[in-house]
Amino acid sequence: MVLVVLFLSIFTFGLMKMAPGDPVLAILNSDEMIVTDADQAKLRSSLGFDQPIYVQYGQWMIGVMQLDLGTSYMSGKPVWNEIAERLPITLQLTAGALLVMVGISVPLGVLSARYPGKWPDQIGRIFALIGASIPSFWLGLMLIYIFAFKFQIFPSGGMGSVSQMILPSITLGFTLAAVYARLLRAGLIETLSKDYIRAGRARGVKEWRLLWLHAFRAALIPVMTVFGLSLGSLLGGAVVVEILFSWPGLGSMAVDAILSRDYPVIQGYVLLTGVLVVVLNLLVDLSYYLIDPRINQGKRESG
Amino acid sequence: MVKPLLSIKNLIVLLAILFIFLAMGCSSENSSTEKEGTTKEEKNVKMIFSFKSPNMDPHTVFTPIRAGVTETLLKVGKDSHIEGWLAEKWSTKDNVTWEFAIRDDITFHDGTKLDAARVKASLERSIDVNESLSGSLKIKSLEADGQTLTITTSEPYPALPSELVNPYTSIVNTESEKEIGAEEFQNAPVGTGPFKVKNFIPNQEVQVSKYNSYWAGEPRIDEAAIQFIEDANVRALGLQSKEADIVYNLPAEGMKAIEQDKNLKVESVPGLRSHFILYNQQSANVSNVKVRQALNLLIDRKSIKDDIMLGHAEPANGPFNGTLPFGLSDKVQELNVEKAKTLLNEAGYTENADGSMEKDGKPLTLELITYKARPELPLIAQLFQSDAAKAGIDVEIKNVENADTHLAENTDWDLATYSNNTSPRGDGSYFLNTAFTDTGALNVGKINISALNDVIQELNTTNDAEKRTNLTKDAANIINEHAVHSYAVYPNIIVGVNKRITNWEPTAEEYYILTHSMDVK
Repeated sequence: MVLVVLFLSIFTFGLMKMAPGDPVLAILNSDEMIVTDADQAKLRSSLGFDQPIYVQYGQWMIGVMQLDLGTSYMSGKPVWNEIAERLPITLQLTAGALLVMVGISVPLGVLSARYPGKWPDQIGRIFALIGASIPSFWLGLMLIYIFAFKFQIFPSGGMGSVSQMILPSITLGFTLAAVYARLLRAGLIETLSKDYIRAGRARGVKEWRLLWLHAFRAALIPVMTVFGLSLGSLLGGAVVVEILFSWPGLGSMAVDAILSRDYPVIQGYVLLTGVLVVVLNLLVDLSYYLIDPRINQGKRESG
Repeated sequence: MVKPLLSIKNLIVLLAILFIFLAMGCSSENSSTEKEGTTKEEKNVKMIFSFKSPNMDPHTVFTPIRAGVTETLLKVGKDSHIEGWLAEKWSTKDNVTWEFAIRDDITFHDGTKLDAARVKASLERSIDVNESLSGSLKIKSLEADGQTLTITTSEPYPALPSELVNPYTSIVNTESEKEIGAEEFQNAPVGTGPFKVKNFIPNQEVQVSKYNSYWAGEPRIDEAAIQFIEDANVRALGLQSKEADIVYNLPAEGMKAIEQDKNLKVESVPGLRSHFILYNQQSANVSNVKVRQALNLLIDRKSIKDDIMLGHAEPANGPFNGTLPFGLSDKVQELNVEKAKTLLNEAGYTENADGSMEKDGKPLTLELITYKARPELPLIAQLFQSDAAKAGIDVEIKNVENADTHLAENTDWDLATYSNNTSPRGDGSYFLNTAFTDTGALNVGKINISALNDVIQELNTTNDAEKRTNLTKDAANIINEHAVHSYAVYPNIIVGVNKRITNWEPTAEEYYILTHSMDVK
């Protein structure tokens, strides 16, 4: 894990420095204020931009070792504070999206698997197609248009109340749900045709028990694998949805930082998401044992 | 047949559980916004700005002055003349020692009286906090005596009043910063404005409530909320749903729907910005003034105004908007392909068999840099490309992410579309100094005209307002004559307003937005 993160940080640091531009003009606010070349040069050297890249990287790395991510050039605040300010927002959005995702994909996936080829399955298929092909910014705009403008049920943006949470959560959760409903359906159909399910049926085990306790668990494995990946990207911030609903989460922080070349913030962000993804995937791997005990015992039993 | 039914039952149970979870979420998070429910007599206004604000520190962001929380010593009036605000009047004999008479009837939000000592402390804080202020104010020392503030500048500096209009020099009570702590002060600065911060959420929203003992009269509205929304379409929908009363920077495509709504109107006022084309003096292609003059004739300013800006702009005749006292009154240059061709001929170019201009067997091909941060600039670039083709000039458009850096670090470009606030504080000296002098940070085309330098130098040491106006005009004429920039249009400031708002209109400088005189029907 340390290796992954180290590689990640070297890679982004290098890329960042190769990209043209630096934050000096933005810090000096040249769009409104008289700025001279001398001012720029002074600030550049005080920020250490005149030193070789490896020195700059080394200085940053030493800070990270001491759990100091540096301070943002733009706001002057420690990067930790910047992240701490925005992480709860992203967590809230992620939680909302997951709720919507589970709420849509589980019933839809199970129904489609129970009645393959029948109308619930058809609906699921159409839904998945729509969900996978609608870009989230358009879905978000349409939701705002319908619910905030036409019916005026929900506010168009902002955060804090639950009514303000619903539209962003649906926007983000909907597209995810489509994929997961199909994944779940495929998994369930496969496991429902397994011998142990048939054996269970023959023994007169109730169908709902078979479905929820036996088939569902086995079908969750592939779902969890993908889930780990998308949870990582969700926590990294959903830029489009954040900007659309003006939720200043991690994603929009990263975009702002990249546009203004706020190096410490970019580095801190990459480091954080890197660690998050690695940890999440580890947790997902561990969850396999919980979901499917067979993994632990080897494939001894097979119904 | 009974079996599937059972699974459906389970689904229902599952859904019910989900709903309970949702409901639980409701009850726990609702508390913060419940308070917004107000009594009927209260007058509330909601605005949407397009720019985010990470904090409310008046010395690093403009939001406090825009939200009516803080004020500066001087302000720009309607006709771009500088007038007194917190300082009633000011005077200087030698452009070095300045005396400002601070109004006697002003209190901060916490009730403390405003005097010169507090102004001094506040200015010192702003220079301390903001990197760029020490260079722009050139203050050597500050002296406070009762209501009189004496500023001594490090050199004769006639532009000082204009620089004190800068929102970054807003006056705050630094004493209360010590009391409530820096963190808290950044979110709710104690100023002198008609409104005080009630609640601030970084990058999202600021709510303000009126300050009853505001010196210029009690504010008409009780509370206002300003939301920061970056997406233009969402902003437009916010206005259309009547959620917001005032919305800044509407998207061009949403304007029609708003104009059709009889409760809403679109205010389009001349701004202080210019969209223009700048030429690289280091490029052999455009270093000839005749070529630049020819290119200047190939900008279809009327079409840019009507088709690209959809009417919300004025065709430009110089660096500064013609409505400003130092704007030029010259006629706007029309598209003139024939004359452009003649000028190119004079510059030694001849039309070849394919209809393109060439010199010494080499066709005239220009690289035009543009960037997307202002969506109309690439469109202006395309229009220019097609009009230049009529005169036999081949323009290649290159879209870059960060124009400032690209232009500064490369020397092989010929032209660039650019946009600048050319008179941010009721004065042209900012733009002239940054974009045309040797040391200016925005002089990427390496412009160096001795006549222009002289005028700017003289302007920098002239105090008399009328003389300054004339000098700024002279500078604009020299710029036009040498065609070092080709000014295309002055974009308007576009604000959507609900008609229930009265006694308010957007201003060109975009500093003074929430005022004490704004009212609602």
